[in-house]
Amino acid sequence: MNPRGIRALVAKDFTLFFRNRFFALVTSLALVVYVILYFVMPGSVDETLEIGLYAPGWSAIPADMQKEGLEIHVAESLEDLEDGVTAHDYMAGIAIPGDLMEKLASGQRPQVDLYFASDTPEEAQAAVSSLIRELIYAQTGQPLAVDFSTQVLPGPDMVGKQIPPRDRMRPLFAVLLIVFETYGLATLITEEIEHRTIQALLVTPVSVKDLFAAKGITGITLAFGQGALFMAVVGGLNDQPVIIILALLLAALLVTGIGFLIASLAKDMMSVLAWGVLALVILVIPGMGVMFPGVITGWAKAIPSYYVVDTVDRVANYGSGWPDIWQNLLILVAFSVAFLLVGMVALRRRFQ
Amino acid sequence: MAQDAIAVEELVYTYGDLVAVDHIGFKVAEGEILGFLGPNGAGKTTTVKMLTGQLKPKGGKAHVLGMDVARDAGKVRGEIGVCFEQTNLYEQMSALENLELFARLFGISSFDGQALLKRVGLAGREKDKVEGYSKGMKQRLMVARSLVNRPRILFLDEPTAGLDPASAEAIRAVILEERQRGATVFLTTHDMMEADKLSDRVAFMDKGKIVALDTPHNLKQQYGKRALKAKVQTPSGELQDREVVLDQPETPDLIQKLFAGEKVVTIHSEEATLEDIFIKITGRGLKE
Repeated sequence: MNPRGIRALVAKDFTLFFRNRFFALVTSLALVVYVILYFVMPGSVDETLEIGLYAPGWSAIPADMQKEGLEIHVAESLEDLEDGVTAHDYMAGIAIPGDLMEKLASGQRPQVDLYFASDTPEEAQAAVSSLIRELIYAQTGQPLAVDFSTQVLPGPDMVGKQIPPRDRMRPLFAVLLIVFETYGLATLITEEIEHRTIQALLVTPVSVKDLFAAKGITGITLAFGQGALFMAVVGGLNDQPVIIILALLLAALLVTGIGFLIASLAKDMMSVLAWGVLALVILVIPGMGVMFPGVITGWAKAIPSYYVVDTVDRVANYGSGWPDIWQNLLILVAFSVAFLLVGMVALRRRFQ
Repeated sequence: MAQDAIAVEELVYTYGDLVAVDHIGFKVAEGEILGFLGPNGAGKTTTVKMLTGQLKPKGGKAHVLGMDVARDAGKVRGEIGVCFEQTNLYEQMSALENLELFARLFGISSFDGQALLKRVGLAGREKDKVEGYSKGMKQRLMVARSLVNRPRILFLDEPTAGLDPASAEAIRAVILEERQRGATVFLTTHDMMEADKLSDRVAFMDKGKIVALDTPHNLKQQYGKRALKAKVQTPSGELQDREVVLDQPETPDLIQKLFAGEKVVTIHSEEATLEDIFIKITGRGLKE
């Protein structure tokens, strides 16, 4: 190894990276935009469930129904109820027939109509249906003779653990910043190959190992630096900073390996772009799972970035510690080392 | 007697079934300029890549400054300078930054880039980004970059190809200065005039083999012919070409006959060119 040579190459790579207007702009802009987005997003969670009720036979809403976290708006007519649902004044509307008690008493099955806006997720509809069944059961003392289909939402039980949207976004933003450097690093390497500057470097005392070391340092520094800076600014390092930093470092190692792999596959800058976008899309998927629980399921665990997102989310948002996430970190180490080795072998062949 | 700067013995390189370099051997003395000539695909570039440590020989031996290129490639690269045919500079950096980068890679702490740039005629443009340079300026910068470590052997691949006469002449002057300093120059070129003018010896390479290696003068003596070319006017006023081959027993009589019998309008001597000799040896041209 040639430390002076490696230092010179890293300095050169940073100079070229920031002289590329596209990368300089995207890197700095993304960091600033994500930080701003974080701070403008709601910092608290509104857990109140608003429901519209049309019950012509009821003189007043029973006090039991006005539970904490449940706000019931009384509609004057069925039309009002439908308008309220359509205008998203409340998540669901319930129309209870005026002769509910009489029909129940006579053993008939009364009809309770539920109204949802067309864009209300299926899971939310099922949850509201269950809630209404419970409430009416509490009022009438007997099960409602209406069938509701019940669906179990996948993912951890978040009851009482809801986190503000902006904190939900933290792992996604951090991963986006890190993952983009896959493209940045692959571009730097492909430019060297395309412009044959690599040939000029390899007739100096610099060896192929020195080149890999320099590119690796550049890739890891760019990716980790942005991820860590973002997390520091948005308060993501307040709890268990060592775990978060380690996870980000491993993520940077992972994207460096993927960057090597893309550079070895790409024939020109257009193919770097194509491969880079593909990698970016795949690696960002687990971040969506944190934003929208239930959207993705177990298959996301096959994507290496899942273990970064999951670790950052659980540690920064739910206070998890080493005993909870050591397995994540171990899998991440395995993925990172594997991608780095495969990337180096493939790229070495390309250099030669 | 000067030590060998380059010593090659039975050197072989293959790309799959294709034999690119086929058991070649030659020596280059320190301070010598060797012109390395041959058509495209002859094996010149592969030979240079092996000598500069970019490719590992698949057979035979090559020593550069006494070091085995296969075993001591790193050390060899520290002592040589390489100028490539195709431009491969960092175009987003200035000329000075390019040179300073390579000085650091060679571990040179006190480096005067300005002086080197002045030497190749780029003074005053040293802080401009290379992307704005003309082809000639870039080529001069490539030559300057190959001189950063004051190399003991300079490998130059088509250093003047496609350049304007002034740029080409500037580069030739630098090559001669380097030889004056004591550097050995391994010059790969298609330009026969350049090879003839600069080289102490020339090697012809064809189909992976070295088919001739000698001084330009000896090659011309051995394979070429000297002649007198004359344009004469016949009694009817018509202009005709005449040629008298020199160095033959009957040459004096033929010359006498030429001047006595016809009206000579123009006359000049002509030597065989390296191109003629290459065609004579290989049966095909250098640019095929």
